[in-house]
Amino acid sequence: MTSAAPPAPAGPGLAPDDLGSWRHLLRATPTLMRVATAGMVAYRAELLIWFLTASLPVVMMLVWDRVAEEAPVGRFDQASMAFYFLAVLVVRQLGGSWVIWELNHAIRTGALSPALLRPINPLVVYGADSVAEKPMRVVLLVPLVLAVWAWRPEMTLPVGPGGLALAVVSLALGWLLNLLVQVAFGCLAFFFTQSLGLFGVWFGLWALLSGYLFPLELLPGGLRALVHWLPFRATLGVPVEILTGGLRGADAWAGVALQVAWVVVAWAVAAFAWRRGVRHHEAVGA
Amino acid sequence: MIQVTGLTKHYRAPKKAPGLAGSLRSLWRREWETVKAVDGVSFSIAPGERVGFLGPNGAGKTTTLKMLSGLLVPTAGEVVVAGHRPTGRAPAFLRRITLVMGQKQQLLWDLPARETFELNRALFDIPRAGFQATLAELTDLLELEALLDRPVRNLSLGERMKCELVAALLHRPDVLFLDEPTIGLDVRMQVVVRRFVEQWNRRTGATVLLTSHYMADIAALCPRVIVIAGGRLRFDGPLAALVAEHANDRRVVVRTLREPTPEELAAAAPLALEDGALTALVPAGAVKDTVDRALRALPVADLTVEEPPLEDVIARLFAADGAADGAGRASPA
Repeated sequence: MTSAAPPAPAGPGLAPDDLGSWRHLLRATPTLMRVATAGMVAYRAELLIWFLTASLPVVMMLVWDRVAEEAPVGRFDQASMAFYFLAVLVVRQLGGSWVIWELNHAIRTGALSPALLRPINPLVVYGADSVAEKPMRVVLLVPLVLAVWAWRPEMTLPVGPGGLALAVVSLALGWLLNLLVQVAFGCLAFFFTQSLGLFGVWFGLWALLSGYLFPLELLPGGLRALVHWLPFRATLGVPVEILTGGLRGADAWAGVALQVAWVVVAWAVAAFAWRRGVRHHEAVGA
Repeated sequence: MIQVTGLTKHYRAPKKAPGLAGSLRSLWRREWETVKAVDGVSFSIAPGERVGFLGPNGAGKTTTLKMLSGLLVPTAGEVVVAGHRPTGRAPAFLRRITLVMGQKQQLLWDLPARETFELNRALFDIPRAGFQATLAELTDLLELEALLDRPVRNLSLGERMKCELVAALLHRPDVLFLDEPTIGLDVRMQVVVRRFVEQWNRRTGATVLLTSHYMADIAALCPRVIVIAGGRLRFDGPLAALVAEHANDRRVVVRTLREPTPEELAAAAPLALEDGALTALVPAGAVKDTVDRALRALPVADLTVEEPPLEDVIARLFAADGAADGAGRASPA
């Protein structure tokens, strides 16, 4: 019997083979999405609370509206400033990921163990959960968007169908980057209890440097150039800038290329953190 | 089906002297000790066997099951389960095993159990027709058709365990690792789970390795037991042999027609009043003398001689092992 045993695999990671075969994944995806959606419906009250906690852009919209009342701020008058924060709200809600909370909970309570005994990587299930909550967020967003448009009817969509399509791609990349960053931070829970605290540091920087609280183009030149290349902007600022017409043509494509680059880096870091974390889990148990 | 050779799992755990001084010292210079959770255990289990895995708390049972299912990587030794090395949890391996942990659940808490079953169908890539057939078979055996559409949080502990078993068996694994599946269940539900495991084993020929603190589970389900204590194998063989080897005592129970006088009690020693009857635990060789003395000294209405409960046998075995082992399981790193 021993001689018949195949060699032990190198351990789980995020490479396609580790995630389960692609065909199996494709077959499983509709069910994963359906069950995740059922979960979202079951947690609808919690989702509403999460939605509200991510609605700071509405507050910022009102603050910056007063600032732009006297004179335009940079290229932003009151209407375009309102549209900027509307775009921030939409991108935050649809491009956000909250997987770190689930991962942290699963690692700390041992709930990850049963998940590791299924042939598809648990991170795929978390990813499906994150995607499945989006339709519900759209439902919550629609009345808010309509209300803002009623408040500032002079707002216009500054991009055509091509720009809009690129913004959707950019939004998806921003979501993936958020997810991977949260997986990387979440994996720290394999090693110590303060992973959420460390993520809080990241979130603080993110809020300041992603375009969440103010348009990054309002930053002074040198700082703006630095922030331009950081991952924070790639999660939210790039899709928002494409949507609001701040990035057009080649600049918009360069923004998307920057996102792709950060996704590759974050994928590598998340895969490393996951692999090391699971290895630690296999060594000491849960 | 399961081949374990020299299985070893050592942990490195921080060691701290008591008190504030100890805390401060461990801040500056942390000391470690090696905990030998499992220490060179070897056994093999044939396809279709039902084996009870016994040991006191901390004996290494769960650690062993986790190594057999691939959740933990052994420090040393060789494990082959269903032709696979568990380490790395290859999908082909995971499709052939299941691990049910009585204290951890895989069911989605706020959704009906049916949703977890659907999720597992997708995750294990079970063909729809096979899935429906297995689900029907399992729900019929466990009588839980009415529960499938109720949110898991609204189910009783026993009902949840039934659903856990379904979720764990939908992919029809060849090897069942059951870690305390009846923990916390009432006696009736324990019997239901026990019967189900036995029926499933007979129907499918699946190999079962079961840990439980309820000896009734072991007695009802497992013709063979493996005992580990202190991380080491203490016994591997038929349950009857374990009892014969470690149960030399017999319990003599005497009920009397009236309350015995102090003189009668003294003459009937070592029988003593316990729960309304006169009882004594005596070596098998002393049963005859004890019975003779009781019949002479007491107004006997009823007299029985019993083998001690399995719990007592196991408790004595563990106590003896614990005394022999002492603190020898941990060593400074």
